[in-house]
Amino acid sequence: MYTTAVTHGAIVLCGGLSKRMHRAKAFLPWRGRTMIEHVVGVLRQAVDDVVVVTSAELDLPAIDARVVRDREPRLGPLGGIREGLDASTAGLCYATSTDAPFLTAAFVRKVLSFGGAAAPEADGVVQSLAAAYPRALAPVAARLIAGGRMRPLFLLEEAGYRRIAAAELPDIESLQNLNTSDDYLAALRRDGADMRATVEFLGTARAKAGVATLDVPAGRLEEVLRAVRERMTIDDAHLLSLNGRQFVRDPAVPVGPGERVLVMDAAAGG
Amino acid sequence: MHGFHGRYWRFDLTTGRGAHVAIDEAVLRRFLGGSGLGAWLLHREAPRGVDPFAPEAPLVFAFSPLVGTPLTTSAKFAVVAKSPLTGCISDALSSSHFAIAGKRLGVDALVITGACREPSELVCGDLRATPHWGKTSAETEAALASHGRVASIGVAGENLVRYATISNEGRHAGRGGLGAVMGAKKLKAIVVRGDVPTPLADPARVYAIAKDLSKRSFGPATAKYRELGTVANLLTFNRLNALPTRNFQASAFEDAPALSAERLAPVREKAQKSCASCTIGCEHIWDGTRMEYESLFALGPMLGVGDPDAVIALSRRCDELGLDTISAGGTIAFAMELTQRGLLDGPRFGEVPLPLLDDIAHRRGLGALLAEGSKRVAEQRGGADFAPHVKGLELPGYDPRTLQTMALGFAVGTRGADHNRSGAYELDFSERVDRFHGTEDAARLAIGPEDRAALIDSLILCKFLRGVFTDLFAESADMLRAVTGWEVTADELRATAARIVNLKKAFNMREGWTPASDTLPARLFSDAFPRERLERMVRAYNLARGWTEDGRLTEAQLAELP
Repeated sequence: MYTTAVTHGAIVLCGGLSKRMHRAKAFLPWRGRTMIEHVVGVLRQAVDDVVVVTSAELDLPAIDARVVRDREPRLGPLGGIREGLDASTAGLCYATSTDAPFLTAAFVRKVLSFGGAAAPEADGVVQSLAAAYPRALAPVAARLIAGGRMRPLFLLEEAGYRRIAAAELPDIESLQNLNTSDDYLAALRRDGADMRATVEFLGTARAKAGVATLDVPAGRLEEVLRAVRERMTIDDAHLLSLNGRQFVRDPAVPVGPGERVLVMDAAAGG
Repeated sequence: MHGFHGRYWRFDLTTGRGAHVAIDEAVLRRFLGGSGLGAWLLHREAPRGVDPFAPEAPLVFAFSPLVGTPLTTSAKFAVVAKSPLTGCISDALSSSHFAIAGKRLGVDALVITGACREPSELVCGDLRATPHWGKTSAETEAALASHGRVASIGVAGENLVRYATISNEGRHAGRGGLGAVMGAKKLKAIVVRGDVPTPLADPARVYAIAKDLSKRSFGPATAKYRELGTVANLLTFNRLNALPTRNFQASAFEDAPALSAERLAPVREKAQKSCASCTIGCEHIWDGTRMEYESLFALGPMLGVGDPDAVIALSRRCDELGLDTISAGGTIAFAMELTQRGLLDGPRFGEVPLPLLDDIAHRRGLGALLAEGSKRVAEQRGGADFAPHVKGLELPGYDPRTLQTMALGFAVGTRGADHNRSGAYELDFSERVDRFHGTEDAARLAIGPEDRAALIDSLILCKFLRGVFTDLFAESADMLRAVTGWEVTADELRATAARIVNLKKAFNMREGWTPASDTLPARLFSDAFPRERLERMVRAYNLARGWTEDGRLTEAQLAELP
């Protein structure tokens, strides 16, 4: 009698609004790469098939994973898990959020080793975004969504999941998430990151600052601008861009290591 | 009537006779002046389907209620005609004393029809043979300055280059080839001088508003224009991957730092000037040539030219010949890519095409082909997928692939690819949209800057002042009330702005616009910017304007228009 080994895959949920982070978590710098590249890289060490689920609006850079988009917006993590299970070619998938900076391959393999639905429990809380979901649960997820039962925990319960005690798991810091910019900055410091960023001055700001670029400590935008304000006034006449991609004004936006804040004239354009 | 004169002067070059034509005050209230009034006059005076070069094609110079007041940046006028480049309406704005002098003729607009038998100039109502045919606009203006204020064409206009300009005091009604319309009439110059004042309804209030506006115009909202000029855009756009390069083959230019205002202004800028009645002073003169971003981009990165001396020389020559720098640069860049692909024996990227500008202006050699604009060059030589135009108007220096709300603005603009009438880039340069991922919401938001542009272009004020206003419609209503005495409100002006956009669209519909033209060159589409995304945005914009999904005005909207 033959048994077919269950193939292992992973799902990364990338479509959240990241409201408390004030910017998309996928693009946060981590260990020289973006967070999404880092997490996908870790998962690739443990599984063969990685699916990243993103929102309709979020465009990701080229990554070593298949990218699918939420077919409906704002369905939360359960919607993302459903999308990932539908897209996956693996029989059993580890589902994670994007913001898992300390995730290890060993942790992922252990969660998948139970062979079916399984989720760690830490401090009495079921970690549904560090859990294993059989692909066969995709229609169950669809049924729960249609019924308005939107929590991933319901899916795990329907599957009769295996509770994994913290003591059974290696690298328990894999469970750490980053909800706020302060969480992210603290994680960087804990990781020993080189906390330097750069401000680049363009247009009239360059003459006012007296330099083209300025090295500053990475941190919240308001901290970065504190260094800039020693050289020039930043007001409504200026526009700030993070890495030339995203315009920012929220003082709580985290500016990570190696990132650049561009200061330019607000009357950009004609 | 206050702020207006309630009439325009129509001069028939064929008969050599002019006459005043009344304009109902209700029309002026519904369409204001400048771009709005010009569009209304074009509807009225242009026969349906008229060839832009035909004698019957009117050339409109429209003034505005604010011209001649002490309001800063108000010395502007609109030149409106059917464009020989696009076949659509082209409303170009220009500045300075011609506007003031023109309105002091006691008219709200000049409408020139017919054609002269020989090259002529219209000097204070007197049509006569011109000795200035073949001269630059600057030379012509200098020769005629004793008679009044001069608007004239260069050699390019004389030779009907489809993107020839009309120039005055070194400013240009640049886009759409209105200089060629004037050239087709064999009209070299128009000189105006008048002494008819325009009464103001509440002069004290006008002066108070003017004083406040002047003070605010010195603030941070205009700092860029005052301190560096629009050339400051180049390095910023390059950094944001929004600088069209080598005919849109790339979005950043390796030599941008060498052309940047940050590097050049400290050593090249020798003078700074402003239009009449302007407190901003945005004209930055580098080595004797007024440099603007659009000229810098079109004659630099678009051509792969990174030598600032060369770009300044090219820009100066365009001014002397009376060529729109954006269309000249775009058309030559297209020719460079055709050459690169073996489809043309022409200039190459990186070469400095100074002699070619003269060939274009004189329609000789390859210049005869390039004088037609990139759309017609593509029709003859191929390469439509990468011809850098919309509706025939060459794209300005905003890469639509990384400014996707601006992409929508280009696609739907009534003039063609036009950042100025759209203003959608304001959204791309903000946190309100993702410039790399255009959405239907962004498309709907793009109506705001477009309507504000329509209002500003009809009042007329300078768009560089736009950041000074807290509420443009409310403040404009205040200005108009003081000038005209009308009990006009912000809501009325919002409706007026939308009506003016509709009016321009209606003209295009009348002249053969089709929905298929609301798009971009094929080369600009990719996985990062799928065609379907732009199509969804265009549909959303159309519906938000109250038009049909494919962009036609409804019967009710058309009924409101002339």
